[in-house]
Order: sequence, then C-alpha cells, then structure tokens
Amino acid sequence: MDRIGEVIEASTTELAAQCYELYGVPPLGSLVKTADSSLELYGIVCNAVTTSLEPGRRPIARGKDEPSEEAIYRSNPQLTKLLRSEFNALMVGHRKDGKLYHYLPPAPARIHSFVYLCPPEEVKEFSQSFGFLNILVNAHLDISTDELIAAALRQMSRAHQERHAFLVTAGKELATLLSGRFDQLKSVLGRLKE
Amino acid sequence: MLDLTKVAAQVEGMLATLKSGRDERQKRLQSALDVFSCPSTDVEKLRRKIEMSKTTWLVARLVDGLSQRYPAPPIPAEFNVIASDGSHIDVDRHRSTRCFLINTGSVVLSYGDKPDASLDSFPQLYATDEELVIAPPDGSGREQQIEGPLLGIKRGVEECRHLAELASKMPPGSSTLALLDGTLILWGLESNNYPDFVKEALLTNGLLACLDDMKKLNNDRRLAIASYISFPRSTDVVNTLRVSLCPHEPADCDRYCPTNESRACDAVATILDRELFSNSLSEGERSALFISPSKVQKQYKDHIVYFFYLKVDDEIARVEVPEWVAMNGSLLNLTHALLLDQCRRGQGYPVALSEAHEKAVVTGADREQFWELVDSSLVEQHMSTLCSAKSRSKITRWI
Repeated sequence: MDRIGEVIEASTTELAAQCYELYGVPPLGSLVKTADSSLELYGIVCNAVTTSLEPGRRPIARGKDEPSEEAIYRSNPQLTKLLRSEFNALMVGHRKDGKLYHYLPPAPARIHSFVYLCPPEEVKEFSQSFGFLNILVNAHLDISTDELIAAALRQMSRAHQERHAFLVTAGKELATLLSGRFDQLKSVLGRLKE
Repeated sequence: MLDLTKVAAQVEGMLATLKSGRDERQKRLQSALDVFSCPSTDVEKLRRKIEMSKTTWLVARLVDGLSQRYPAPPIPAEFNVIASDGSHIDVDRHRSTRCFLINTGSVVLSYGDKPDASLDSFPQLYATDEELVIAPPDGSGREQQIEGPLLGIKRGVEECRHLAELASKMPPGSSTLALLDGTLILWGLESNNYPDFVKEALLTNGLLACLDDMKKLNNDRRLAIASYISFPRSTDVVNTLRVSLCPHEPADCDRYCPTNESRACDAVATILDRELFSNSLSEGERSALFISPSKVQKQYKDHIVYFFYLKVDDEIARVEVPEWVAMNGSLLNLTHALLLDQCRRGQGYPVALSEAHEKAVVTGADREQFWELVDSSLVEQHMSTLCSAKSRSKITRWI
C-alpha cells in the first residue's frame, strides 16, 4: 500500500497530514486510510496546500533568468527542504474487527500515524455502500461540497469496472439525499463527467 | 521603558552631524582612492615599510600587491557548498540551574547533475561541572567559567568542528567550499587576555585542529574553507595607505606623532576598507590578498589568516581563508567562484550560510521555552527551582 504521509493534526471529523514528498498530495476526492491498534480510519481528501515550512518565511519568485521551473529547483536544491505539502481528509468511515462502517469513527486519528492511499480493491470495497455521501453533503468545508462529492465519486468510479453503472447508482443515492435541492443535485451531477 | 519622542530629537541631531561631515568624508575617500590606485606606488617598498613600522592601528600585510583585481573564475559543473552557524543560550546567573546551550545549524548543498540539500540542527546542552569550565590541564591555576565572551568563542569553535565533520563526509574527488559566518580570527582570545591553557583548548586543540583536519582532506578531494563577513567595518587596507602617506621611514606613531595632531595620514582617516573597494572593484571581482595583522595570528601556524574583499551587487564582503587556501590557486579560485555563485543564488548573501543561520537561530521565545523546560523538569523531579528575586520581579511586573 502506498504510504504518502503522516497525520499532523486530527479531530473527530477531519485529519491533516504532511506528505513525505513535496507535491506528493493525493488527488482531490481520493480515499485515504490511517490506522491505530484497533481501528482503521477512512477519509476523503478534501483540500491540499503547499507552503513554506516556516510561517515567517515566504517563498520568493526565482525564475526570471531560469529556462524552466525544474531549473529553479536544480539551482536551489534547498527549496525541497524548505517547502512542504499537506492535505486534509474528511473522515467518512472506519473498520473495526474487520467490519466496515460508513460513519464517523469513535476516536480521531493519532498524531504521526501513517496515511496510505487506498488501492483500487479497497476503494471498490468501501464504495459498495454510499453511506458516506451523507457526511459529504452535510460537511462544512472551505471547498464547496458539490465539488468534493463529485471529485470523490469520480475517483471511486475508477476502481469499478462498470464506471457508468457506479455513477448512475451514486446519482440515484444523491437524488434522495438532495431531494428538494435540485440546483445542488444538478451541480454535482454536472461535475461527474470526465 | 523607552520614550521614543525624547529620542526623536536626538536622532535629528545625529543626522545633522552626519550631513555636515559628508563633504569632508568624500574628500578623504577620494584621497584614499588616489593613493590606492596610484600607478607609481612602489608596492615592494610599501610592503617593507609596513613590516618595519610601529603603528597604533592594525595594518594589513601585503601579499600580491595592493590594488590588483581578479575577475570571477568559472564554476565547476559539480560542486558542494557546506556551512555551519551557531546560536547559544548563555548561562543566566539569575536562574536556578547553571547551564548553557549551543545550537549549531549545518547545511550541505550539492549542485550539478544530482542536486540535493540537507539542512539540520544540533542542540547541545552543557551542564556538568566539567562542561561549564575550561580547566588548566595540570590542575594548577584558576579554571575559566565558560560564559559571556568565552562562550561566544567556544561556539565559534563548535561551528568549525561541525563544519569539519560535514567536510569529512564529502565524497573523494568532489569539489567543496566550506563556509563559516564571521571571522576565522579568534579576536576575543587576544583582547580578553585569557591564560594560555584557554588559548590551547580553544585555538590549538579547537579551531586549528579542525582546520588541520580539513586541510588533510585535500589529499583525495578539493576542499576550501572560508569565512564570510558581510558589511565589514575593518580598516586594515586603508591603514596600509596611512603608512604609505606617512612621511617617516619607517612609521612610528608613538615616536613621531605622540599627540596625534595634524598627521599626514589623517587624509584618509575614518575611511573603511569596504568604501575603498566599493569604488575600485567591479561586480564579481575580488581584491588582492592581504594578511590580517592580529596578534593572535602568531599561534595560527599553518593556518595564518589571509583575506580579500569581494564585490557582490552593491555589497563588499570580506572573505577570510587560511594560508593553505590562499596559497593554492585552485582552492582560492574555487572559493572566489563559489562564494560569488552562492551570493547570486541567495539575493546577495551565501545561501548555505543563510540556511545554516535559519537552522541555528534561537529566538527569544525559544529561550523562554528552554528555561520553562528546565524548570518544569526540575519540578517533576522535586528539585529546587529557586531563582533570583530580580528575575522574578521581571517576570511578574506590578505597579
């Protein structure tokens, strides 16, 4: 399994993780996992940011005389050590004693626990049920929930052989969840196409 | 509490003084430049005169001339720049525990086909009786407490020790410039008149031992070491012009000018080396080599400190190197070329040094947290945390 980072902040509803590689953030909407001794916790990537490692030091423009972006990093090898990429994941489920639950885990992730990008089989298993959609619909995030729901479903659909069938089923589920919110439903469905 | 409204008037007064002296200063700078670049100056004669003169100010010794200028040599395709810098928390006599801390930042930057960087810091706490003093080796005489200026010197030595360690890890066949911030000359050892065993511990067995190690590394790799002084205030080279202007052969300040009145050399007085070179060097060029006249240099053996000035953008920097770098054309060129390259990559200041500083720096908040950590650990172990009443009065202010 692909270990991509480490938890640096955690709450019941969300976790923040620092990536091991600069720019090594998982795609928006992808399913990630972290674990402690008794629980596996699942989250959906809902935001990512690359910033200076130290809050008081802002990056400056360096490429005026460089032929490419890559050349900037070659000329200034320290940059990769002074910048960091982080991402946030919205908690959407957990696994206890081998059983999968599509609702919030009883406790937040532990700081420094490893974060993995879930492989397609695990994404497929997790997305057999759409219980997590309720959490996404009701989330209060910086990013619009329509964007997040659509991104998550697009990512999950890749793990399914019948992508279209998966998206149709998800759309029906959304229609129930967003009944009376036609504009939002339309907005999400419009974003499912790739 | 500082009342800035009361200071403001004094700042205006300061500006007025500066303004009125500007023309006079410009005249003196021009005199200095005239003597400096005068084609008829007999450099060999001046060199001899400097060696024989007795002056009340420090005069640089000449090596390869006076006003020579050297353009930047080309940089190698693959090279490393390593640097270390330090910061410390001094012993605080108002605190419950006697200890000090040195935090050394170290940086390795590799350029070329496989660019890489490593930035790290190494905090070291000194708290045992042996660590807090420098003791005479034979047990006779008074031991010296390491604090204040002596801690500053020890920190400099630790920086050099870290640098030598980094240098030893560079691969055989590589080209590396090792950088320190500030001066290679332990001026403090001279000015504070420390006993010989302190000089031996910090200089002979400290700084010079590290320089020895780095010199030996040149058997299978190219390694130059230099220290970099930004915006230097030294006047060693301008003082050579004073000797040149002196009508007496040789110059002897105490003998000929005991009252310091109307001396011929005052024509260039108060001018700094950096002003001289700012007007005589072009971008990227370095000056001739000079030898620092410090007394403490007598103990430097193979590592006598030479220096040159380097022009980078609008700044003149003073670069100090040990003799084995100064006298080796390949190492001297490496130093010149890579320092200039580092400054260009780092907005006018060597990147490696600025990153080493960032790793080393101990802020005011860090200091507070350090003492809190010490105190809370003492409390956990049920040990006394009694501090001075003065220190308590600063923490808890009242009306």
